Amino acid sequence: MRYALRRTGFFVFTLWAALTLNFLLPRLMPGNPAEAMIAKFHGTLTPAAIRALDVLFGVNTNQGLWSQYISYLHQMATLNFGTSLAYYPNSVSSEIGGAIWWTIGLVGLTTVLAFGLGTLLGIVSAWRRGSRLDSVVPPVFVIASAVPYFWVAMMLILIFGITMHWFPYEFGYYVTTDKPGLNLTFFQDVANHAFLPALSLLVTTIGTWILTMRNTMVTTLAEDYVRMARAKGLTGRRIMFDYAARNAILPNLTGFAMSLGFVVSGAILIEYVFNYPGIGNMLLYAVNSADYPLMQALFLLITVAVLVSILIADLLTALLDPRTRTAG
Amino acid sequence: MRRLSKFGVIIGAGLLAAGCTAGSGSSTGGSGKSTGSASTNSVLTISNENGATWTCGFSPFNSSDTLVSVGFVYEPLVYVNPLQSGATTPMLATAWQWSNNNKTLTFTIRNGVKWDDGQPMSAADVVFTFNMLKKFSALDLNGIWSYLSSVTQTGSDQVTMTFNQPAVPDFYYIADQTPIVPQHVWSKIANPVNYTDSNPVGSGPYTVNPCNKNDITYTANKYFWQPGEPHIKKVQYPAFLTNDAANEELANGQAQWGAQYIPSIQSYYKAKSPNYNYWFPPTLNVTLVPNLTDPQLSNVKVRQAMSYAIDRSKVSSIGETGYEPAANQTGVVTPTFSQWESGSAVSAWGTGYDPAKAKQLLESAGYHMGSNGVMVNSAGKQLAFSVINIGGYSDWVASMQVIQQELKAVGIQITPDNLTNTSLLNDLELGKFQLGYWEQQVFGPAPYYELSAWLYSPNTAPIGKQAATDFERYSNPQTDALFHQYASATSTQTQHDIMNQLEQVMVTQAPVIPVVEGVDWYQYDTGSFSGWPTAGNPYAQPPAWAYPDNEQVLLHLQAK
Repeated sequence: MRYALRRTGFFVFTLWAALTLNFLLPRLMPGNPAEAMIAKFHGTLTPAAIRALDVLFGVNTNQGLWSQYISYLHQMATLNFGTSLAYYPNSVSSEIGGAIWWTIGLVGLTTVLAFGLGTLLGIVSAWRRGSRLDSVVPPVFVIASAVPYFWVAMMLILIFGITMHWFPYEFGYYVTTDKPGLNLTFFQDVANHAFLPALSLLVTTIGTWILTMRNTMVTTLAEDYVRMARAKGLTGRRIMFDYAARNAILPNLTGFAMSLGFVVSGAILIEYVFNYPGIGNMLLYAVNSADYPLMQALFLLITVAVLVSILIADLLTALLDPRTRTAG
Repeated sequence: MRRLSKFGVIIGAGLLAAGCTAGSGSSTGGSGKSTGSASTNSVLTISNENGATWTCGFSPFNSSDTLVSVGFVYEPLVYVNPLQSGATTPMLATAWQWSNNNKTLTFTIRNGVKWDDGQPMSAADVVFTFNMLKKFSALDLNGIWSYLSSVTQTGSDQVTMTFNQPAVPDFYYIADQTPIVPQHVWSKIANPVNYTDSNPVGSGPYTVNPCNKNDITYTANKYFWQPGEPHIKKVQYPAFLTNDAANEELANGQAQWGAQYIPSIQSYYKAKSPNYNYWFPPTLNVTLVPNLTDPQLSNVKVRQAMSYAIDRSKVSSIGETGYEPAANQTGVVTPTFSQWESGSAVSAWGTGYDPAKAKQLLESAGYHMGSNGVMVNSAGKQLAFSVINIGGYSDWVASMQVIQQELKAVGIQITPDNLTNTSLLNDLELGKFQLGYWEQQVFGPAPYYELSAWLYSPNTAPIGKQAATDFERYSNPQTDALFHQYASATSTQTQHDIMNQLEQVMVTQAPVIPVVEGVDWYQYDTGSFSGWPTAGNPYAQPPAWAYPDNEQVLLHLQAK
């Protein structure tokens, strides 16, 4: 209990620090949103029009920094993120709401898949230590994880998309011919379009899971109770999963909880390469357009997601591993 | 071994199943993969990278939405073609008349036009639109009410506008760049500045049906006033987030109308099909901007020397891969505005690239070559400057490197400082720079528009305050008088005479230094559609984002 309370207290403190940093950073950036709008589009702009834009965006407000901070905290607490400047006049929450499902879908599912497959491969590699599987799979995927994932993405596009026409490589679905809806065609379309991005992410992230799982498994397998179980005549599979893996998975599990927090930040480069309409791309656009409200909302989202996931990971460790409870 | 093989089978089967459904999905999931299907469906797809998903707002007064609404849904009074010296095509207005020393303009509004909800359009809508812009200045994107006095209906189909000064050049902004909106919709909106306009009601050839953030589908407006138009019943406008995705759609034929910068366009695009074409009409100068308040740059000889030292054709071929032709010091973009070029100004300027003359000018200004290869004057001041540039434009960065080399050859040292778009514009506006590299955004049917942006003093401001377009802080009452005379000119001959004098100003005073001519990126596929604007037939400015020119293109296009 004391452990949980301490951890929660720490979480609140880090959340406050993150919020304050989130408030200060965009204001320290050069440029202002009206300039970004002017620089962005191709039309005519007279002095009167520039003044019109300034009025529109309320850029040159005379509010002091402290009063801005107070209203910012109030807005964050009431989840009122305001109107986006780059997507004027749509609200920030509606824009994020539209994009976030693509990111959570793609990156979230890929992370879960990578964790699942990676852990499984790690367990089996450790159990069959020294075999052909163990000599090939972990090294190959560790090397793969050293390769930048956007390069893998571009290679996949070149081979499977452009040359062989096996998979589409742009957008989340066929935008000109398909309509989003809860039907099988749409889901098939989405899966089709998500295949290459998911594959590039999977191939480059699975290596870490395999390696850490394998190494903790190897340590666990040297324990006395494993030898005892073997002596008692339990089947190999039972020992592997029910005894060794259950104990070895703890570090991986906390790592997994944390990586789920990072899902929200999206894989910006994947979304960029595949023209995927997620929030990674949106963050890039918001930064380039000096869209303060959208930027702040996205930074907040990412920070809170990561902090919450770290808290969950900590609490999960305490739950699963009694040793941390007594020590902490 | 047996246990492992079981796992292997399970994993393998899972992946295979996923692969199978994905594979079958690609064959059932929609057309548009080959050019053949595009032409049989006669759906035009536009490739223009917007950098973000669509907001599905179509307010023609929201500068980020104008490119998807004006020309498609909304129309202006008159179409003015900047590529054909302002040739006019009546749209919602059938005739117009200047009077009272060019201070009064009377339009006759077309009869029989309907809005796309079936209601009739009339002169009252025109009057309403203009007065709404007066009431809500944030909607007045072109600042027309700074010279407009009143807009009233004078007759069942007549609208009279009065100006507080002669306003012939402003016809472009009034008649071509102001979209007309329906009174019966917009009068009910309390605050049109925040109005999303997600279901726009306009008089143009298309309606929006539907819009989602990844793609806008336009379908033909059955009430459109031109019979038989538009020929193309459906237009798709996907939201491209990156340049590469948009370029790829053009190269594989899924999009037919491009407005893209494509590096190595010959091998990447043109070589893929004999029907693929491109044309880059020059529009505005990419210009080296000196801060005239700088003590050394205020010396006209230094600026002239810089202009003579730059080999513009080399900058064009190396920095812009030959896509953007060399500019000239008169500031007149050729061949688009060749008929405005003043023979005397051009001959006064001479050959253009002349490093010997540049060195001569610097020496006569009191500079001599220093030991480090940089010119220095008797007071010890070196000709060394920083130049701000947009780091994200790789072609501008490359051009600046060529310029840097060429200026160094005559003893002028410049150090590039690469910034983001927004920082650069901010610094230019506030005057926080020595040299800058910028392309004006003010285009019109004559070189007058760009030159007034650079040289007309109300467009400037003191250092530290926001200047609109005259960033170099040029201010000369005689030049201002020339712009006033142009505005009140009653004949094109007078306009040409005044333009000649303005070109002399550019050549003798060198307030800014045009380097290359910025172009409109434009690709088109003649396999599926005919009627495209070309260099031989420039009936409109070609890119999809140019409004209301895009309406002209859409009305000319036919499926093959």
